[in-house]
Amino acid sequence: MEFPGALFPSYFGCGPPRDEGGPAPAAGWGERGEVLGTRPGRRQAQPPFVPLRSHEGESWTPAEAAAVPLLPPNTGCWIPAVTPQDILYRGVLHRKLRTGRSGAALDFAKQLGHFFVDHPEDAFGSLGQLLHKNFHLGDTRVRKRSARDTTIRMTTLVEKINHLEARRGCPQHQFTSRLRLFSHLCRDWLFEVPLELLADCVHEELLLQWANLLFDDSSTGGALAWLPPWDASSHMGRLVYPGGLAMNHLYFQDVVLEEQPRARGLPVQFELNGRIRQVAAARVDGQDFVGVRSDYHCGVWRMPGKTGAAPSPLQVIRTDVPATCLTVSPHLSGELSVCTQSGAVYLWNIETGLQRLRHDPQTLFFRDHSPWRWSDFTAHPRVLSCADRTGILCLDARAPASCHFDFFKVGEEAKCQQGERVVLPMYLGRAHPCQYLVTTQFAIYLLDERLPLVPVLKWAHMMKAPPLFADIVPGESGRSHKVLLGTSHTQELLLLQYTGEKTDSPHTACQLTGPPQRLHSIASCLPHLPTQLPLQHHLLQQRLSIPAAGLAAVQHEQGQQESLLVFQLSEAGDVFYQTLRHGAPPTPVLDQGDEAEPAPTPNEGDEAAAPPGSPALPAAALRYRRWLRPLLRAWVTSPASLCPSGPPTLSQRRLFTRKELAEVAPNALQQHKLQLQQAMRERGCIQRWEPAPEPPTPPPSLEPNALSARLTAAWGGEWGAVGPAGSTLQRQQALRERRRRQKRNRAHRRLSASFTSSVTYQSELSELSEGGTPHTPPATPQVAAECSPPRTPPPTSTEILLSSQELRSRGIPKERRRTLRDYLSVWAEGPQDPPEAPSSTAGQRCIPSSQSQLSSSSQSQLSSASQPRRKRPRMGF
Amino acid sequence: SSNEHRLNFWKSKELCLSYIQDALLQKQWKRAAEFLTSYIESLEKDFSTVFMGPSEMIWRIGTEILCSHSRSNIREFNSFIEQMKTLGVKRYLKVCLEHAFHLLCNGLIDEAYQNLSLAESWRFGEQTVLQDKEMKLIQAYRGLLDYYSWSNQKNILLEYGKDGLEDLSVEQEMRACFRKAAVNLKEIIKIPGVWDLFVKSYVDLLEFYGDHQEAREVLTDYAYNSKFPANPNAHVYFYQFLKRHGAPKKSLISALKILHDIVPSHELMIDFNTMLQKSKKRKRRRLGLEVIFAVLDYSGWKENVKAWSCLARQVKQIVISEKHLDWIKQQWNSRKDWWPAFHFSRYLAKRNWQEDKSLSYEKALVAGILLGKDCKYFKYVSHQGCKARVKRFRTLKKFVNKHSPAYLRISG
Repeated sequence: MEFPGALFPSYFGCGPPRDEGGPAPAAGWGERGEVLGTRPGRRQAQPPFVPLRSHEGESWTPAEAAAVPLLPPNTGCWIPAVTPQDILYRGVLHRKLRTGRSGAALDFAKQLGHFFVDHPEDAFGSLGQLLHKNFHLGDTRVRKRSARDTTIRMTTLVEKINHLEARRGCPQHQFTSRLRLFSHLCRDWLFEVPLELLADCVHEELLLQWANLLFDDSSTGGALAWLPPWDASSHMGRLVYPGGLAMNHLYFQDVVLEEQPRARGLPVQFELNGRIRQVAAARVDGQDFVGVRSDYHCGVWRMPGKTGAAPSPLQVIRTDVPATCLTVSPHLSGELSVCTQSGAVYLWNIETGLQRLRHDPQTLFFRDHSPWRWSDFTAHPRVLSCADRTGILCLDARAPASCHFDFFKVGEEAKCQQGERVVLPMYLGRAHPCQYLVTTQFAIYLLDERLPLVPVLKWAHMMKAPPLFADIVPGESGRSHKVLLGTSHTQELLLLQYTGEKTDSPHTACQLTGPPQRLHSIASCLPHLPTQLPLQHHLLQQRLSIPAAGLAAVQHEQGQQESLLVFQLSEAGDVFYQTLRHGAPPTPVLDQGDEAEPAPTPNEGDEAAAPPGSPALPAAALRYRRWLRPLLRAWVTSPASLCPSGPPTLSQRRLFTRKELAEVAPNALQQHKLQLQQAMRERGCIQRWEPAPEPPTPPPSLEPNALSARLTAAWGGEWGAVGPAGSTLQRQQALRERRRRQKRNRAHRRLSASFTSSVTYQSELSELSEGGTPHTPPATPQVAAECSPPRTPPPTSTEILLSSQELRSRGIPKERRRTLRDYLSVWAEGPQDPPEAPSSTAGQRCIPSSQSQLSSSSQSQLSSASQPRRKRPRMGF
Repeated sequence: SSNEHRLNFWKSKELCLSYIQDALLQKQWKRAAEFLTSYIESLEKDFSTVFMGPSEMIWRIGTEILCSHSRSNIREFNSFIEQMKTLGVKRYLKVCLEHAFHLLCNGLIDEAYQNLSLAESWRFGEQTVLQDKEMKLIQAYRGLLDYYSWSNQKNILLEYGKDGLEDLSVEQEMRACFRKAAVNLKEIIKIPGVWDLFVKSYVDLLEFYGDHQEAREVLTDYAYNSKFPANPNAHVYFYQFLKRHGAPKKSLISALKILHDIVPSHELMIDFNTMLQKSKKRKRRRLGLEVIFAVLDYSGWKENVKAWSCLARQVKQIVISEKHLDWIKQQWNSRKDWWPAFHFSRYLAKRNWQEDKSLSYEKALVAGILLGKDCKYFKYVSHQGCKARVKRFRTLKKFVNKHSPAYLRISG
């Protein structure tokens, strides 16, 4: 508790930060900072000067080659993370192209549908009551003549809707006119939430999601907590973490610390009604108190200090605005502090309830828009710190209005940079009763309560994202304390060491010791997993690179060997760990790792370079396999593995105006138009493309020459003359006749006009696409637009249409040209179908009328790994 | 397409930097050094106006590698730094300062001194605010080294002074050192900052030559100038100075009173409490009680026997005299809702008894008076004490039972 006899020299100034700059990639290296002389006149005894940043520290070497799963995967969680592409509007097609790869997390139409079903009273309540008489539900006809004019029979509509549901996923499913009419008539007023309001809300939500993508502070503090063993001799602690479908289950899992940590028994589980954002824990009087924060609820559990005792929930509070912070007092049992986005700070005592200490929507030292607030305890049990992005204030809970002092300011006092903001303050009471850690996006600061405003230690951490999680492993009897910093989106993990006051006199000021060390991220274990099929590999990649959600660290001794265990939680609810072993005495800093092969980093994309499936330890390999098996098994049965939404319905309206197309080839177009009209009259087929069942690896398509010949012929007006497998016009017409006969027997159906037209143009364009952009990979449309295809067929009118120069000369803007190419590349798949595909047995090339068959056969094929899936358009938020 | 070239160059530069960073964070110094040699190419097209250009990064990364690499030596380090000094004018002073730090930490004090003197004589046009600060620091550190050599000579003089042979020359040398050190140290401690080391050295110099007035002024300014941060050490130095020079009790108390206001948990508060307890003035004794209560509010003092015995002694005194029970009452009022849980829980009673019997004795005494004989802590400890047949616990029980009315008056 003694204050260091002399502090490292530093300048002190007031005011806004003067230091301009930004994230400097190497700012943390090479500096000694300052030096402090120990007693003068004793030259013989050790170097008389100690630096603020010393290079000698304890050496900890990772025992595993990558992070290893500790617990079975959280198989319930398949909700994909929101990506920027979900929100950024970059054209309908672009989104369609990539839906196959990322999950539709923001399917707005679906969400609204769920809302209608889950809350019908809110959505249609009063109008439903008003129109009660005008809707008839039931199979009988409406008898009363007077009522017949004002009543709609809903049964048919419901049936129609059910039909639609059944055909969901069919590439060209049509809306019946009745449904269409009903929706046209009612959509403005039936739904009680005004559309403008809804649009505003959606927009607001989009903005929120975007802001969250840039920086999501809701998980500040981390949702993983370690409850240490009750006594030093036992090796069993507890891990508290969220899991489940929506991360709304709280688990208490016993973990035995041996050579490798291992879970013992099944976890104790609690289901909560919100996504768990933060789990905080502290031990007071031999009992662990665990605070759990979700957006609108905070709860506290108690874990009695006996082995085998079960955790018991104590109390829950509800907040009107989302809570941003929950910390548990390390001094008094059952005391917590809570902050909300409205700027309120509460001291929450289980027995006496909530006490509001402060309420200020404004930030502390200068104006900042962020509503984030944080609060933690200090060395004095009645003094709490209150933080926002601009700094930290300490206040006395007994007289919060009058007794307070400024503890940390983003400004010249701490030599901050411009734009620097507080990210996570943390009380380091376990290491030293007066020390505090403050992280910003650029640096970490170590503060001493007894000397406010002046950090006793500062170091630029150089992490790519702001560290949202931190944990401390106190070093006993003069050894260094270990600080772990973790980021969310980039999954970075950094180990720092510092020495506080040493127990021997004279007391020295805080020193950063040893070089900082990067630990394995969760994503780093991908190359060590057994080799997978591409689709599963992709799935794993996605799963492992999900943002981190928390970290916890614990030091324990196994015989003579000291190890540092670091647990990591991902937002999908998976818990990974890694072990660090205390190496040789650090005096000569060894070049560990130089001899070892450089560990691959996840962001370099060179996972292939490392030998897959060869982790350092066989135990780890077993754990990987054990983790992988249930994950993949669950994935196969999960809805996420199926095509989440139907194939796309495309519209050509954005591509060309009629005028533009007419300019291209007026005659051909005219002809096609005629043909289309005729087909419509006859209710015949106009399209020869059929999504036939495909072998997993498609054989090379037609020879370019044959293809171009076919195309030229088609373009020249001999529409249908050159069919697959040499089919002739006659044969086609015969088939048409047969179809017509079949169709007459069926229910009367009509094509909706827009739909038909779209199909027509698609078919045309899909034919064209083969000549112009052969097999353009959808992921790189730009490349396709830049370079001309290598196997160029003789220039035809098709080519002319599609060459960039031509498009340019026709005044088609650049972005549209790209869209066109993307568009064509999608449809390029259609005509690729091998002519000898067994589809001919079906003998039905007319798409619109064979939906039910297609939906069943093509669905299973489409989900095969090799083919990109097509999806319906969706709202991107 | 020079633009494309530039872009590619920039990209590979960034990639190289990320590789270096990666290697450094995994302590692969050799690998980092190999990448750094490639990165040096980035100096070729350093048109950057960014905050931290490649030359600074090379300096930082190179220093880091040379400091940590197992096979680097000080000679290589020096030659690297000398090259780095020529790379950027803006950074010259900073690099010099860091170089001196490195030398000092390796015990090469004379080399460091030379380096600092060299840097001090450096002139380059207008100086920025930052450079001005760095220059001041360089001078201050040189002053500090002068002080150290002065103090060495002083030690020599004190050891061999009796012979009286070389007195004159050593004394002259000391004078020279004193003058050089004093000028530089005096400069820096005028500027707001944390200058513990410099202030201590300067005061030591002044005291040796008998300039107490100046020393006192320096210390007063360092402690009480509002432009300076609230550094507890400044008050401690001032208090120690006063104590050394036999200042009246009143001024000592006022110095410590101010320290108590800033840092109630400071370790000097124990001395302060003892000093106040001995005082005859009522007001001071009352302040003493306040001070010791405040000390024990902090979690760092929770298990400190000394602090608890101070409190126990004073509380006992008051209870025996039966005067000023209201002092305790006043202090207790703001603590009675949380001290029982914080200090006197059953769990703590058990643990204190197991770990430190004398601590539990002092605490039980306080608990018995403040919370009565039914308090969990007192009951547990006195019971255990009687069971173990320790005499003082039995007297403790008797004492508390006898003075139970005092508890009623405090709590009432």
